[in-house]
Amino acid sequence: MKRLVFIILSLFVVSFAKAQIAIDTLSTEALNNLLIEQVERLAEDGDEDADYEDLLENYIFLCENPVNLNSEETMRLVELHLISVFQYEELQKYRRFYGNFMFLDELEMVEGFDEQTVAIIRPVVCIEKDQSKDKITLNKMARYGKHQLVGRYEQVLERQQGYAPIDDSTLLAKPNSRYLGSPQKLQFKYTYNYRNKIRAGFTLEKDAGEMFFTDKVSDTIRALLGKQYQRGFDFVGFHLYAKDLGIVKAAVLGDYQLAFGQGLTLWSGMSFGKAGAGSSVMKQGRGITPKGSASEYAFMRGAAVTLGAGAFSGTIFYSNRLVDANISVTDTLESEAEFVSSLQETGYHRTIGELQDRHAIRQQIVGGHLAFAIAHFEVGYTAHHTWLSVPLELKPSHYNQFYFQGQRLSNQGVDFKYVKGKYAVFGEMAMSFNHGTKTPEPVEGPTQAQTAFRPFDGLRAQGPAYAGLIGLTVKPAGYLNFTIMYRDYGKAYQNLYSNAFGEGSRNQGQRGIYLGVEAAPAPYWNILAYADQFQFTWLTSQVNAPSRGHDYYLRVSHSFNRRTQAYLQFRSKTKMKNSTDAFVFSHYPIFYTKNAVRFNINYQLGWDIHCANKAEYAHYRNDDGSNEHGYFLCQDIAYKPENKPYSLTFRYAIFDAKDYNARIYAYENDVLYSFSVPALYGKGMRVYLLGKVKLFNALTLYARIGRTIYSNRDDVGSGLTLIEGNHKTDVKAEIIWKL
Amino acid sequence: MKRLLLLITLILSTSSIFAYDIIHPIGGRAAAMGGSSVASQGLWAMQNNPAGMAHLDKISLGLYYENRWMLPETAYKCGAFALPTKFGTLGLSFNQFGSSKYNENKFGLAYAKDFGRYLQIGLQLDYLLLKIGNDYGKFNAVTFELGIQSHVTDKLTLGTYIFNPVNFSFEQTLNHEKLPIVFRFGMAYQFTKDFIGQCEIEKNTDLEGVSLRGGLEYEAVKNLYIRAGVQTNPGILSFGLGYGIRFAQINVAAQLHNELGASVQIGMIFSIGK
Repeated sequence: MKRLVFIILSLFVVSFAKAQIAIDTLSTEALNNLLIEQVERLAEDGDEDADYEDLLENYIFLCENPVNLNSEETMRLVELHLISVFQYEELQKYRRFYGNFMFLDELEMVEGFDEQTVAIIRPVVCIEKDQSKDKITLNKMARYGKHQLVGRYEQVLERQQGYAPIDDSTLLAKPNSRYLGSPQKLQFKYTYNYRNKIRAGFTLEKDAGEMFFTDKVSDTIRALLGKQYQRGFDFVGFHLYAKDLGIVKAAVLGDYQLAFGQGLTLWSGMSFGKAGAGSSVMKQGRGITPKGSASEYAFMRGAAVTLGAGAFSGTIFYSNRLVDANISVTDTLESEAEFVSSLQETGYHRTIGELQDRHAIRQQIVGGHLAFAIAHFEVGYTAHHTWLSVPLELKPSHYNQFYFQGQRLSNQGVDFKYVKGKYAVFGEMAMSFNHGTKTPEPVEGPTQAQTAFRPFDGLRAQGPAYAGLIGLTVKPAGYLNFTIMYRDYGKAYQNLYSNAFGEGSRNQGQRGIYLGVEAAPAPYWNILAYADQFQFTWLTSQVNAPSRGHDYYLRVSHSFNRRTQAYLQFRSKTKMKNSTDAFVFSHYPIFYTKNAVRFNINYQLGWDIHCANKAEYAHYRNDDGSNEHGYFLCQDIAYKPENKPYSLTFRYAIFDAKDYNARIYAYENDVLYSFSVPALYGKGMRVYLLGKVKLFNALTLYARIGRTIYSNRDDVGSGLTLIEGNHKTDVKAEIIWKL
Repeated sequence: MKRLLLLITLILSTSSIFAYDIIHPIGGRAAAMGGSSVASQGLWAMQNNPAGMAHLDKISLGLYYENRWMLPETAYKCGAFALPTKFGTLGLSFNQFGSSKYNENKFGLAYAKDFGRYLQIGLQLDYLLLKIGNDYGKFNAVTFELGIQSHVTDKLTLGTYIFNPVNFSFEQTLNHEKLPIVFRFGMAYQFTKDFIGQCEIEKNTDLEGVSLRGGLEYEAVKNLYIRAGVQTNPGILSFGLGYGIRFAQINVAAQLHNELGASVQIGMIFSIGK
């Protein structure tokens, strides 16, 4: 029966194949493809659980609120790496020579703007009178402000082990063997925007497995959880943001992200890092941005303001929020000392254990940024100080001994940037200082053993430790640019909110040199290539010695015509990890290599049907010399009639990867504001169908159903997400109401 | 005999017992071009990507024989008939692989429709029959195959083809052996008026890995085509000749496999019409 449904669905898609001719309107296709590639690369780099929503929030906002070409707002295109700093300079030059843009088509006449760039940015720019000087009145705000309400529901249809019925005594014996809540994920989001100047919003979220209002637990479990008992929306966030109000360049109350310089001292949100294109290695701090996503880990909650006058601008901020942590208690004769053995980053509060860790400690950050910018030169100074209400003491291990521990951490750094003509030079130097904790006085008597057991006999102040990066981008000709970057992050450099360029997610204990090139050697041909060589100067998780590796990447793309683009991509990454050989006494690190080749083509059948094919091969070489291979092939068909209020997207994919090591990441189209990049391995097929209907001008509905069917397994997942059966079906529905 | 043993060993070692072998590029042209055929047109497209017969404008009948590895036990025999109508092209096909002791048969009813330059869609409903001699039995299954093609530019044609997309199985067999899913896509590029290059990728879920295929065709003299191609997994080099006049075409090909030796293919197409 299920099979029949699938046949009908696939035929349904085919039956829509009536070619219709319509006008080629602006589409965000090129921008989407760019983001898809970057998100896929990000997933491959290991940020699989990353919250793409947080990262892509700014792009979505841009799509819905295009920037005015005749204003300073175009800097946002650089911040989001849609144009390079050189292209930005050309844009400014064009405006100085020829005055304001009258038509969007003029973009193609700006030096250094190739067809590809124009296709990417055209849908996110507009031409209007500069209104930044207009007075803001309540009347105008009420009349021209845009309201938006988004509600989303998600669920895995098969029953996962974590939701299986269980009686109380068994659950009490094994408290983390079940999720306490229901399997639905729910999210509501409201945002208000007045001409990008005043923005406000709130976000409510409940993850799958978290307890909602309707979920009930027995009194014993409730008593066990005590004050950690939590029902309803697990995440609640809000923001109120204003910008360009006289001397106040930006101000925010509530949840926000900060990004300065090259991200070495302070960059609280995510960034594409290596996944971005060559010229995006140079970052452009975007200062304060409001955060509307439901990501629960890396963000600020409090207030921040940026003031600016002339060449100077200054930001101060304060954040105070509760974070998840695993609290332990050591007993001494006189008192109980609390410490935290780890900070939880997932944001899930589904099991008794996760709920007990919820919002366990308070994290406060205060800091600021000072910037000075003249014609081609920019320099900034950032400083911030973090407190934890309870000291962090990690389970002692060799690899984590330079990780942040203790209670207080100071960071400061200087960043600079110089862009002129064919050259861009950028860099940042940062310093961290760990103030440690007070060492508890050693206690005589029988408890000494316990006290002595505490890691590193107290946490003395450590530091200072340093980190720095410097880079140069040269553009010898319009069709060519290359970047050289060197980074050296000290092994004791600690920062809870850094996100600079690097291998892996930690800006710590790493040295590396990066060479990247972007070129358009012939019309309609583009090449993007980089090589990154890195060394880890200290041990890392599961690597028992300082190690090294390299990452090579090459992508050649070609446009057959405006609607047909193809690319071929190679990636080879070698790193080290401990040998798993059971016969060696010490697990020394050895090299392993992952190679991947991908071919992708996007084309259109007439005007309304968009197609894509993708083939990917992944190869993983194990330490014993054995090889693992992964294959993935897919066909995408999207029916998007112009001037019609609906669209349908369908994918049929098969995959065959023996093991997790040869897994393949494949981006999938999703309901608006949501992103999925599942890692596929095993053997089987993956299909999904996504539909969109615009009911009235204000109301849009999305629905998506996806299923992965394995031909070589009888169960899917493991632990609490285990499903008995060979398939996993996910459904999503979303409603967007715009006013 | 030795070669047969080697072949059987190879087949058994690389795939499951019921590796259904009948999904295989058909036609002298495809065989000569390394098996690449997903973006090709013509009568044999019915078997390789039914969308490719949407452009057919003549009533056509084709016969094809492949002496695989020069062993009659592993031969392919195919026949196809296509009838262009106002509503699209209708087709009937028959394929057989094997000998009287073991044979795989496919009966197909195909339909393809042209939706303009950018889109051709083809569908074939299949009845599969597997016969194993010495009273081991007969097994049958039904499934379908789907294909699309698009002439995205004057020179570039893209094609995608899926056999058995919903993974039907032989219900009567002991373990309900699944039929393989065969998924291929690729392109044909018309470099000049008389020179075509093709390439494609295929994944057969019964086999390890993927197969890459590429081929070239050059019209050396009017109506006389020379062809060459290469295929990986298994690694095969292929060559062939084709000659076509208004009502008949003949294509021959030879494929070379390093261990198993040569295979020869011959295909003929007769057409009636304007």
